[in-house]
Amino acid sequence: MPKAIRTYVRIVEAVNYRVGRFAMYILYGMMAVLIWSTVSKVTPWPSIWTLETAQFAMVAYYMLGGPYSLQLDSNVRMDLLYHRWSPRTRAWVDAFSVFALLFYLGVLLYGAVESTAYSLQYSERSPTAWRPYIAPIKIVMCVGVFLMLLQAIAFFFRDVAKIRGEEI
Amino acid sequence: MSYDMIAILMFSTMMVMMATGQRVFGAIGFVAVAAALPLWGVGGSDLGFAAAMKLMKWYPLLTLPMFIFMGYVLSESRLADDLYRMFHVWFGPVPGGLAIGTIFLMVIISAMNGLSVAGMAIGATIALPELLKRKYDKRMVTGVIQAGSSLGILIPPSVVLVLYAMIARQPVSLLWLAGVMPGLMMAALFIVYIWIRCRLNPELGPVLDPAERAAIPRSEKLKLLTAGVLPLAIFLVMMVPFVTGYTSLVEASVVGALASVAAAVMKGRFTHKVFETCTRETLAISCMFMWIILAALAFGSVFDGLGAVKAIEGFFVDKLGLSPWTILILMQLSYLIMGTFLDDTAMLVIVAPLYVPLVATLDLGIDKQYVLIWYGVLYTITCQIAYMTPPFGYNLFLMRAMAPPEINIIDIYRSIVPFVGVMILALILVLVFPEIALWLPQHINAR
Repeated sequence: MPKAIRTYVRIVEAVNYRVGRFAMYILYGMMAVLIWSTVSKVTPWPSIWTLETAQFAMVAYYMLGGPYSLQLDSNVRMDLLYHRWSPRTRAWVDAFSVFALLFYLGVLLYGAVESTAYSLQYSERSPTAWRPYIAPIKIVMCVGVFLMLLQAIAFFFRDVAKIRGEEI
Repeated sequence: MSYDMIAILMFSTMMVMMATGQRVFGAIGFVAVAAALPLWGVGGSDLGFAAAMKLMKWYPLLTLPMFIFMGYVLSESRLADDLYRMFHVWFGPVPGGLAIGTIFLMVIISAMNGLSVAGMAIGATIALPELLKRKYDKRMVTGVIQAGSSLGILIPPSVVLVLYAMIARQPVSLLWLAGVMPGLMMAALFIVYIWIRCRLNPELGPVLDPAERAAIPRSEKLKLLTAGVLPLAIFLVMMVPFVTGYTSLVEASVVGALASVAAAVMKGRFTHKVFETCTRETLAISCMFMWIILAALAFGSVFDGLGAVKAIEGFFVDKLGLSPWTILILMQLSYLIMGTFLDDTAMLVIVAPLYVPLVATLDLGIDKQYVLIWYGVLYTITCQIAYMTPPFGYNLFLMRAMAPPEINIIDIYRSIVPFVGVMILALILVLVFPEIALWLPQHINAR
């Protein structure tokens, strides 16, 4: 495979690995926020920001963690036929079917960018008592989907390499 | 092209896409956006992302990573070891007693956990080698562990019922209460089945050797009973504030997760390796679930837009002129068949938006307020069966990954047959007697 492609795969996977390792600890952030929400109820100052903060954290968790979960190969596949194929056949089939994944992620990204632009333009706020701005979490979502897209492309290159009898 | 044709085309494309072995969320999401673009043009391009916003606003989903984490803490830190030993010693003298003890163990794990993964991991690492060493029939043993761990999604807390609550717009607390009795009933049916089989054929589950039994003094037997205290404490710490209304559902799940960490720390088993595995695997499994739900929500909104529910209802009720009960039974049958080759999350988010509104309109002679609660239990039992039926079942995959080499794939496939039979019996019982599920929520709600 050309050197540029090898470099691409290496960089994308390294970035996604680090982002994913960071996202994995957001879990404890969610716990902290929700425990605070439980505790603050007995104080005279119950928090109004905990619920939405936890929701934002959850979105960041699965969006930024998504590419890393792809790397860990934890996503279920219907392996009725798949597990009987040789690694080479799998690479062939994946190299085609990954375009469906790319298409989905592409449309998702398009929608995300459009929606984020809208939120930024009109300074959209959440219709709750706390009224946080919505744009920041949407930007995180854009980044997450974009990284998923890059990871899926990296998988495509890996499959092509496998078909040519190489390993990236 | 008519809308019915589009719906059928979407379904068949999705099945073909899934058969290629592409990641399930990719297959579902692709079909959803590929259908939305030609149907609604540029407006259709927002559909995928709109699902992400819908997902964010759905608060109870936060319980998902918490329960997954809790399950990993319980299994990775081997908190169930003592518990298993307790059942081992106390049920040893009964024919098939160790298998029966394993079912009890699974019931307790189910009461602390919302998925079947923890039960599978604990069963395969602790109970399986021990039972094989005692010359238990290997098919019996693998069946017991797979069936027992599937109780995790029926006995509260249950992640599957949380997801169902999202689709059916029903209160999670009532659904959980509704799962209690059917869950315990199913466990009882498993136990009766094991006991009868082992009575008829003692070789399947030999009684614990008397010499070995005598070697354990009474004082130690009594001491082992304290192993039950820890799970009970975790369960109470999690459930009491929730039932009394102090904590919300999500907060209760966090309390449960932290209680299990506290228990692991107390036992000195929360090592760095356990921490790393739990954190990483929680991310992996949560992301898998979230992305499937994300794609399936988009798929569901295309179906909503097509008016597919009306079409199906019209087909069943007007064209075929079927009675409500016949429709319900047909739905359950189609669910069972789909369950053999679809993953339960995919099944829920794709098929439930079609079936749930249909059930709500059927006149089954059950209080309207509770009919969807009852259906939630039926749905969950069907999921349990789906977990165990080839070719696609979580428990089958997990068993294949965890089982020792002397258990081959044929053993695993054959081991589930009698237990699936027992589960279908439980499904029929809940279908015929809705009170089994509804007595507890109605009773508590009436107060």
